Amino acid sequence: MSAPVLEIRNIHTFIGQFHILEGVNVSVPQGSITVMLGRNGAGKTTTLKSVMGLTPPSQGAILFEGKPIHGKRPYHIAQLGIGYVPEHRAIFKTLTVRENLELAERQAHDLEKRIDFIFNLFPAMRQFYHYPAGNLSGGQQQMLAIARVLVPENRLLLIDEPSEGLAPVIIEELMAAIQKLAETSTVLLVEQNFRMASRLADRYVILDDGQSRVEGVMPELIKDEQLIQRYLGVA
Amino acid sequence: MTTRLIENLRENWLYWLIILFLLAFPFLVAAQTGSSPFGEPRGDRMVMRGESVRWQAVMIEIFILAILAMSYNLMFGFTGVLSFGHALFFGLSGYIIGLMLEYTGLDNGIALILGIGLAIAINGILGLLIGLVSLRLKGVYFAIFTLAVAEMAFIFFGRFALTRAEDGFTLTHVPIWLDATQNRITLYYVALGMGIFTFFAIRRLINSPTGAVFKAIRENEDRAQSIGYNTLTFKLIAITIASMLAASAGVLQVLLNKKVGPELLGIGNTVDPLLMTIIGGIGSFTGPVIGATGLHLLDTNIREATITIGSTVLHVSDFWGLLLGAIFILAVMVFPQGVVGTWIRLRMRWQKFTKSA
Amino acid sequence: MATTLGKNTPILVMIAIITGLLTFSFINSNGDFGDFGITVLSGLFQGMLLFLVASGLSIIFGLMDVLTLAHGAYFMIGAYVAYDVQHPGGVIDLTAAIPDPNLRFPVALIAAILVGAGLGVILERGLLRPLYSRPIFQLVMTFGVSLVMVEIVKAIWDTTIYSWQDRFGLQESFFELFGQQFSVYRLFVVGIGFVLIIGIALILRRTRIGIIIRAGVEDRQMVEALGINVQLVFTVVFTLGCAVAAFGGGIAAPFLGASNNLATDFLLQAVAVVVLGGMGSYEGTAAGSIMVGLAIAVAQKAAIGTAFTVLPSITPMLLLILILLLRPSGLFGSAHSS
Ligand SMILES: Nc1ncnc2c1ncn2[C@@H]1O[C@H](COP(=O)(O)OP(=O)(O)O)[C@@H](O)[C@H]1O
Ligand SMILES: [Mg+2]
Repeated sequence: MSAPVLEIRNIHTFIGQFHILEGVNVSVPQGSITVMLGRNGAGKTTTLKSVMGLTPPSQGAILFEGKPIHGKRPYHIAQLGIGYVPEHRAIFKTLTVRENLELAERQAHDLEKRIDFIFNLFPAMRQFYHYPAGNLSGGQQQMLAIARVLVPENRLLLIDEPSEGLAPVIIEELMAAIQKLAETSTVLLVEQNFRMASRLADRYVILDDGQSRVEGVMPELIKDEQLIQRYLGVA
Repeated sequence: MTTRLIENLRENWLYWLIILFLLAFPFLVAAQTGSSPFGEPRGDRMVMRGESVRWQAVMIEIFILAILAMSYNLMFGFTGVLSFGHALFFGLSGYIIGLMLEYTGLDNGIALILGIGLAIAINGILGLLIGLVSLRLKGVYFAIFTLAVAEMAFIFFGRFALTRAEDGFTLTHVPIWLDATQNRITLYYVALGMGIFTFFAIRRLINSPTGAVFKAIRENEDRAQSIGYNTLTFKLIAITIASMLAASAGVLQVLLNKKVGPELLGIGNTVDPLLMTIIGGIGSFTGPVIGATGLHLLDTNIREATITIGSTVLHVSDFWGLLLGAIFILAVMVFPQGVVGTWIRLRMRWQKFTKSA
Repeated sequence: MATTLGKNTPILVMIAIITGLLTFSFINSNGDFGDFGITVLSGLFQGMLLFLVASGLSIIFGLMDVLTLAHGAYFMIGAYVAYDVQHPGGVIDLTAAIPDPNLRFPVALIAAILVGAGLGVILERGLLRPLYSRPIFQLVMTFGVSLVMVEIVKAIWDTTIYSWQDRFGLQESFFELFGQQFSVYRLFVVGIGFVLIIGIALILRRTRIGIIIRAGVEDRQMVEALGINVQLVFTVVFTLGCAVAAFGGGIAAPFLGASNNLATDFLLQAVAVVVLGGMGSYEGTAAGSIMVGLAIAVAQKAAIGTAFTVLPSITPMLLLILILLLRPSGLFGSAHSS
């Protein structure tokens, strides 16, 4: 595989006075889906937020396409071509679906160019286009959150627990969509649903207690029941 | 028994020293300036002239402001309840004691005692009632609700004919032993006693299990609620005690100035304790006292000063508001932890420095 | 009640209160349309002035979580700047350049807007920005700024209150309806107020910055993570808010005069409006302004010749307390916002 699109080098992040990340290393190769695994509270969300500059790391380096991005403001980092789908699908509930998408434009007509692609990926969007996003179901809101990062050209997508609290049918639909996205962008995914993670991802990295522990390719992890047991507590 | 006393002395020696100093203060100033701590006799009356009695007035005002700021800090600094209506309790108690003394025709001593009791009781109940109807409001909503209630009282008494509206009324029936123009030194010791009581009562309360819940509410009310505390009850306790303490400050203020008027209810008497608390240090025991002392000394000493640059004479009072505003801005921008917080930080840095050296 | 009537409760409550006020006022005028009309016009006039302060306060609070206690001072500054440009012998004396006072007044208003905007940028960039994570300190700092601004005004201008006839050189004209004299200027201010209410609503609904503002009210971090420079938007919004407040002071000046009291008077009433409307809700602020303005005017009329002369002054506070007791987050406020 080619040079990593994203490289997180030994970052330390504080939230207030709490030392949350204590040495996280992640490398996301071009064109891959890399999944970040780990128990609740391991620091997965904080890692993504550190990349986005929302909780800036106090130590270590983050490189996007070889250039350092740590210390830059979040909007600046996003503008470089990184799309962020946060935990709990933070869509704007009082805005319509369309306004949610418009907000994500970085240049005029971004949305116009991409809307067909989005409608293809999530046909339900078309139907709710002019509704307040708060009226959507949980699954639809998640789709909107993903659709939002498809509006501008993003070369890297950070997706945090997309399947959280959703019905199996909808999870299947989301998985198909994420797979489709991965054809054109690199993805760093956080996923607790191990079945989903193992089917989607090429590579994995395991976080525990604010540190990255193991990194590798997915097929190896699937075979290593001991490792799974130890860090993820699923068999 | 003796070991506990020694223990106490070792822990609180600075407080005891300050209390001793304050107890001796009128006499110290008297000795220093050759004035009498009781004022000067004129026939069978006293005239409050001389450095000692002048300084007593300044100190009484400081005690009053400190009590008010400490009571504010109990709600805001320790419990995290931001109120913009604290002046209500301060001013209303002034009106209650004033009305008792001047409008009931009771014997002065009885009117005074009754008035003090009523002022504190009524304000406690009022605080409780306001809390009951409004403490379910969150954050800024509660703050503005209390502001609205206090402003209504301010406007009402500014127009209320019985209490002579904007002009207010003066007190002529204060018992002579507590009259600030006759026996100021008694009022000095009463105010000092009240200040000391407030300081230690709040410290006791905050270090008790109840105080622990207060602080838990301040840190995160939802979490305090979820571990099983009825946070509303605790906030009600805080506001009730704070309003009673503010009422006692109001009583002292009226006794000092012998004047009751709507300005007692003005927003200034909410803003002052807020600023004193912030400048001194939010959520610390000494912060409000330091803030009150500092700001009031600044007020009395600098306000009347003049600065001469070349041939132009500047009166500080002309740009007093500017100075005060600048102090607020600076305090907030440069010393956000207040005097106490900054002091603790500097001390910690010093300790680190000496340890590493 | 909130659950059964759902989304429409705030609108129904609002209509009920306004209808109640108007009905009372009509009866109070003994059914005289002229009298009634004067009261309503006066109410709308006061409501619009309130709106000019409250709208900025509300949007700034919603977007930035900053309750700026200096906002009333911007209204006051606007009044003084307009007065300064308008009358002969001011700091900026345009009496020679534009001799016609009626033509000079629009220039005076523009000057008020520019000064308000300029001071707004300074406050936001210089003082507010370092305090974004400390809301209580913002309150104290903006209060300090308000004090400083009052002092600066005192230093530059006299503290006497000026109005129409003495210094503005404007002639108030009237038109007759139902046997009453209606002020053209008041009607003009009401008209401008409505234009602004709708204009700001359209900006919020239709433009990109409007979408950003509404999204920012919900979740600032997420807006930033989408690639939008939220701090720049803060500066723009804060500056515009200050400019609108200063404009309000400018157009109010011929009527209310320029005085130091404007700073606190309008701040307190505007804060009441914003809170009773529901903090961060633009609809709430617009509706609240009109409601409070009408209520004050109705109370002023009703209080004439009675012992309740205090009523109009406490009306905003009474209304605020009433509404907060009914709806703890204000009329249009959502339950979770605090
Ligand atoms: N705002 C915060 N304040 C304090 N601790 C936090 C905050 N946000 C997250 N944490 C803590 O940081 C740790 C990592 O959280 P997070 O990154 O959300 O974990 P994950 O996404 O892996 O479940 C957890 O222990 C969590 O309690
Ligand atoms: Mg998480």
